[in-house]
Amino acid sequence: MAASISGLLKPWTPRVFLVRWSRYNPYYLEPEVRKEAYIKPEAELSAEEKEQRELKSLRPIKAATNDVTSSVFNDPVISKFVGMMMLDGNKILANEIIAKTLENIKRKQVDKYHKAPEGTKEEIECNPYAIFHQALENCKPVVGLASIQKGGKFYQVPIPLSDDRRRHLAMKWIITECRESKHRRTLMYEKLSQELLAAFVREGNVIKKKLAMHKMAEANRAYAHYRWA
Amino acid sequence: MAAQRGVLFQEKVSRLLSKQHGRPVLKPNKPLVLKDEVANRRVKRGGASCVTEISVLMACWKQNSFVESVCSAEMKAFYSCVDEAQAAKKNTSELSGVQGERLPPKQATLLLKRFPNLRTEI
Repeated sequence: MAASISGLLKPWTPRVFLVRWSRYNPYYLEPEVRKEAYIKPEAELSAEEKEQRELKSLRPIKAATNDVTSSVFNDPVISKFVGMMMLDGNKILANEIIAKTLENIKRKQVDKYHKAPEGTKEEIECNPYAIFHQALENCKPVVGLASIQKGGKFYQVPIPLSDDRRRHLAMKWIITECRESKHRRTLMYEKLSQELLAAFVREGNVIKKKLAMHKMAEANRAYAHYRWA
Repeated sequence: MAAQRGVLFQEKVSRLLSKQHGRPVLKPNKPLVLKDEVANRRVKRGGASCVTEISVLMACWKQNSFVESVCSAEMKAFYSCVDEAQAAKKNTSELSGVQGERLPPKQATLLLKRFPNLRTEI
């Protein structure tokens, strides 16, 4: 009891201190956190990789953020999804929601596995990370629309999208769909698991949205020549 | 020759400012000195790339009512075309430092800031 009272009298100091700045000189290189990149023996490195290693031994490197770890469970795609789902900086809550979502997916799939007849047991995917990645792939649009001005009017022109943009659109659609169109009492992780499992088999509202985007692009394909670069 | 032209120009400016022959032509409120920067020009984007790939892909979609698994070959061709176009754009943007025998505005500004114009006589 004495320890706890004296603990209250001490000034509050944070347990985690930020070491990484947000604005670095462009001279600094990004840190490589994955263990696989360092396990490779010298002989297997190509010329570019050898050059990269030389460069890394000479240049300063940025500090790694608190989100990335070198553990096997670190997934940059899931980290990005968590960051996109976070509200008001509450990353703990976002992480918990994602953890519950993956657990929920696993439960449903294992349930299906045990109820399935003998022949179809191997086809059921039980790994929630694999399901998440495949669902995200299924939700990514192939072409996007850009609003380009020509002769005073704005036309919706189909353009190719970069990988980052496609991934961002897929994640944003999933999150907006789960936030807005669910039953009043459904919790976020429940709705997320439903949407991800539906996207895994190419059903559900997010896939419909992607197809709507594709249809718009197809309808406006005549304007594809309006795209500069 | 350039030095001669500069001197002649300065003489003309001093004539325009002088009050000896009636009213001066120019009454500047700031010193007549050029700025140490150049205005940024809008980059004109080049022609559309991968248009054929897009049209082929969309024809495939139209035929198969937007089912993705059937059009996988066209999609792969489209992605490879996009990658090539991006790589080509990267290469050309690195090399096109000289745009029609002219410096790009950012580099011009950098040089002018390093060797600035004199604003006062002392």
